[in-house]
Amino acid sequence: MLLSNERKVADMREAFGQTLVELGTTHANLVCVGADTTDSLKTKKFGDRFPERMFNIGIAEANLVSIAAGLAVAGKIAIASTYAAFLPGRCLDQIRNAICYPNLNVKLIVSHAGLSVGPDGASHQQIEDISIMRAIPNMRVLVPADATAVRYLIRRIVKASGPFYVRLARPSGKVIYAEDDTIFEIGKGNILREGKDATIMACGLMVTGALEAADQLEQSHGLNCRVVDMYSIKPIDKELIERCSRETGRIVTIEEHNILGGMGGAVAEVTSDTYPVPVKRLGVLDTFGESARDDEISSLFEKYGLSVKKIVETVLQFRRIDRK
Amino acid sequence: MGLKMRYLNLKQQIRDVRKLAIRGIAEAGSGHPGASFSAAEIMGGLYFRKMKHDPLKPQWNERDYFVNSKAHSAPGFFATLAISGYFPTSEMDTLRKLGARLQGHPVRYSKDQEKHSVPGTEYSGGSEGIGLSVSLGIALASRLDGKKNHIFTLIGDGESNEGQVWEAAMAASKFKVDNLTAILDRNRIQQDGFTEDIMPLDPVRDKWLAFNWNVIEINGHKIEQLIEAINKAYEVKDKPTIIIANTIKGYGIKHMTNSPQWHGKAPPKTHIPILMQELESEFLVAPSIIAGKRENYEEKIRIAERCGADMIHLDVMDGKFVPNVTFFADTIKKLRPITSLPFDVHLMIEDPIDHIQDYIEARSDIITVHAETCTDESFSKISSELLKNGISPGIAINPSTNIPVWLYDHLQEIDVIIVMSVNPGSAGQKFIPDVLLKMRTINQDLREHNYAGYLEADGGIDAMTLRDVYDAGARIMVAGSAVYGSSDINGAIIQLKHTANVALERTLLENATQIGTRLDWLKARKHILIPFASELGIEEEIHAIK
Repeated sequence: MLLSNERKVADMREAFGQTLVELGTTHANLVCVGADTTDSLKTKKFGDRFPERMFNIGIAEANLVSIAAGLAVAGKIAIASTYAAFLPGRCLDQIRNAICYPNLNVKLIVSHAGLSVGPDGASHQQIEDISIMRAIPNMRVLVPADATAVRYLIRRIVKASGPFYVRLARPSGKVIYAEDDTIFEIGKGNILREGKDATIMACGLMVTGALEAADQLEQSHGLNCRVVDMYSIKPIDKELIERCSRETGRIVTIEEHNILGGMGGAVAEVTSDTYPVPVKRLGVLDTFGESARDDEISSLFEKYGLSVKKIVETVLQFRRIDRK
Repeated sequence: MGLKMRYLNLKQQIRDVRKLAIRGIAEAGSGHPGASFSAAEIMGGLYFRKMKHDPLKPQWNERDYFVNSKAHSAPGFFATLAISGYFPTSEMDTLRKLGARLQGHPVRYSKDQEKHSVPGTEYSGGSEGIGLSVSLGIALASRLDGKKNHIFTLIGDGESNEGQVWEAAMAASKFKVDNLTAILDRNRIQQDGFTEDIMPLDPVRDKWLAFNWNVIEINGHKIEQLIEAINKAYEVKDKPTIIIANTIKGYGIKHMTNSPQWHGKAPPKTHIPILMQELESEFLVAPSIIAGKRENYEEKIRIAERCGADMIHLDVMDGKFVPNVTFFADTIKKLRPITSLPFDVHLMIEDPIDHIQDYIEARSDIITVHAETCTDESFSKISSELLKNGISPGIAINPSTNIPVWLYDHLQEIDVIIVMSVNPGSAGQKFIPDVLLKMRTINQDLREHNYAGYLEADGGIDAMTLRDVYDAGARIMVAGSAVYGSSDINGAIIQLKHTANVALERTLLENATQIGTRLDWLKARKHILIPFASELGIEEEIHAIK
């Protein structure tokens, strides 16, 4: 695993937009449908380069994903893209019946997922989507942790057939991964740090916090925690989860999502089926979020239980249980 | 209107779709007869005539697409696919059953869904309001690829409650997709009741015009209007077209028509033989415009159309095969643009093979020649020429002529046989009663030889004689003096249709009695039978039914 040593941040959407343009050149049958958010999602870059292959259908998410389905019926690789609050929020039925049921080659790529949307408030803070999307047969769900992961995963899904849901965050985040094409596979998780005392599994922006928490646990408490980037939530890396259960005996999950049915839920399902160990899930506690200025995002995370401190506390609590 | 649709054959194919669909629904014990029947002409017209598709190569790259957005019409859709040759018609018996390919709502055909779908299905429907958007996606992709194909979408009026229909409407007009035609099955009924009570859709035409679509409104059970509308849609540039097809829910089985309760209900299996008989008994009234004064044909055609005629019968007489002279191809050509009603051209001329091309060019829909004027060889040439041009071939025999032996070799290509009940040559003659027995015998004989076409009665047909020829098997009624000799043409056509309907109801009731479901049939059919009660002699019986 090659982790980036540089201390730089990058925008996932920028990476998505650039990758689309790159793929547009190599894949003549790649088309993109937008819903009045093409500037924000950076799909406009693709539209500027390939205007005949870009369709902006306005603020109409049901139409957005269904037109994408039609394009896929006629042999295109269709990218449908807008904010996570509205896709899948406003078009679940269309995703289920028009895309997943016929298993069409449509890639749903959303941004502004989770609480980190910030100032727009709870109406725009999508925290149920992982749960909803992974419950639909044929759908696959990916949550990249940084801009590098976005680039590689977008390339992967364009080459793979069938529907995908890819969830990006609005704020720029720390670059975790160095450039290396071999580290992302659909259905796999990445061990970013080895350890034996517990495993911290995270996805999206929370991966950075998981790595920080592992550092703190080592420095302040002498604990050696494994950190896994669980970017592929469906299909999920069962083999890896079972291995972590066996080898570390404790799992903490953290995600920018409701505590119900998200990545943590998926992990708990696997452990209970394979090698049951205590799993503590961190996420939004089944409540709506609220507005916060961009410079208050870390406080917002903290308020809703998504902090490095919370991860550290949770791992330590596990240790106390062990001693009893 | 000279639409190369082989009109009578198309009607029969659509009749077979209805038969297959209702059998499937009855066998399944559930399904949607109403929508299957309101859209039968639409789907039949598309699959059997207009669409470019190949059941042997369902994934053919240049094919036209049909997206069945109102997918609860599944039984009708599946029956249409089966009769097109996508899968065996016998498979309809598996509809909606566990393990069947024919799911309650059709599933897009693909390798991973091959156990639950049949080839030819492009779209997984069931959730309303999505299909038009999907069709738009297909249209955009097809245009990108420079294909010359066309995308058809069937949408419902209840379905039009869904906001997404109008999202798609806006987007299609933005993208100027002229390779997309939507057809609205405007049957005015949805699950809970009448559309205008549940959620008014009118003025529906204005709505689509306001969305900047090309709008064509038709009677959705008149296949000639449908075919003509599709031809017009092909011509329009830079705009999508919507054909508003005014239809009747359950059309084809009288007690199911216009009734919300038949939206999604299966008939009992015991009724199937009677329902089959009803579907086979559809009749057509074809006024003959040479009746009365031989002038003002245009006006006669217009009146007939207004008064509900199904076709226009045109008697061509040459003064040689018959004593009189009426008109020739040039007149038919001039009359053609007046109406979209099919032209049923009856050539009472010598050597028809020499003139057949003129009548093809005059855009006839059915051309019937006399057996007395043909040989096996000449008729072969005539019928193959007609079929090549999408015209229904017919053969006529005079009262004293029998079916010639050579005709038996042509029964699969003939769409109509006229059994003359007067000696041809002039209008206003008296019906020859001996013809009835002959017609009955011929009918029986032909059916035994697998003849699937129509029998047409021509000569002296009025409200009195119509009943007898109906009972003898005739389903196309040429009426001359009975229509144009009347001071009330509308009333005369209504009277003729009523007579045939009485005969029909009598036959169906007799059949129901024979198979032991008389009471059940009377119950199901009560509201239809009341106006016929006195003529059928069932007044007391019908009023006793609760």
